[in-house]
Amino acid sequence: MTTDSMSAGSDPRRLLSETRALAHRVRLDQRLTWAALLVLGVVALVAIPFDYFGLVERCDGDSCASWRRGSLFYWPPALLIAYGGIAFAYMRAARARGLGARVLPFVITGGVLTLISMVAWLLARAYWWNNPPADPFPAWVMVLDRLIAPAGTIGLALLVLAWLERNVALAAFTGVYLVIVLVPVTFGWEINTSTAASFVPPQVITAVVLLLGAAGFARARRRRP
Amino acid sequence: MTDERVEHPVTGLDETVHQRVRLGILTIAHEARRVEFGYLRDHLGLTAGNLSKHLSVLEAAGLVGIEKGYEGKRARTWITLTAAGSRALAEEIERLKQLISRVESTGNV
Repeated sequence: MTTDSMSAGSDPRRLLSETRALAHRVRLDQRLTWAALLVLGVVALVAIPFDYFGLVERCDGDSCASWRRGSLFYWPPALLIAYGGIAFAYMRAARARGLGARVLPFVITGGVLTLISMVAWLLARAYWWNNPPADPFPAWVMVLDRLIAPAGTIGLALLVLAWLERNVALAAFTGVYLVIVLVPVTFGWEINTSTAASFVPPQVITAVVLLLGAAGFARARRRRP
Repeated sequence: MTDERVEHPVTGLDETVHQRVRLGILTIAHEARRVEFGYLRDHLGLTAGNLSKHLSVLEAAGLVGIEKGYEGKRARTWITLTAAGSRALAEEIERLKQLISRVESTGNV
């Protein structure tokens, strides 16, 4: 870039193109996508034993009510700490590069969604623990349930991060991740040993997808000139 | 009868902003929220002296704020975009788009 003044006869297309290239370069330098996915993947992985050993089930005749007590105690603080850690990592990395960070809306979204998820769980517990539903829930209720569950809220927060970073690759990855979360992979078989065990496969898949995403974005970053 | 003459985009260009380096500084500061002097120098390919002159022009126009400090023993200078700078950048980008659109519509490319 030279220091010549743009006269009215200069090429505005070139100027606009240079401006866009600079903005894109800054956004690339601000990104730390792999770290966000790594932290969230680890949080999802560590959640599995909490959910497995913390699940309480009560059956009354044909209907059973389960209460994921372990998850409730684990997920809210774990996610809030995770979002705080991600914000700190983003700000530190950006500062080291001589830039500010664009991560606050992601952290706020993640925090608010975590609280909404917790409140929804508590309300569901308060109502259905003593009034277990006689029939299975309709499919749309199950999709909504998965969306406001912690794994779903992670996906929604990641969409905000993708928008903040203008990161098409992260948006595409998050789209795939949300499909996996909302439509759990069953492989055509069911684990009938216990309710707690039935939650394990989708949780493992969710965590592994996040960790693989972290590895992929880290590798892509290293290959960037 | 109303005056239907439309102002040509060129007449609205602000010479302070409509300069490649200064436009680059404003763009980076806008995207970065705040940017360090060294990042601007490296990514705009300028000498420290040249960059300082441009920053002085932008600061005098109230388009950027300059904050000097230390991190350990290292001196750091951070540049932030002011609200006026943000408006000026948005207007400049809009003018450039109008200019391109006008040139393309008249076929004088």
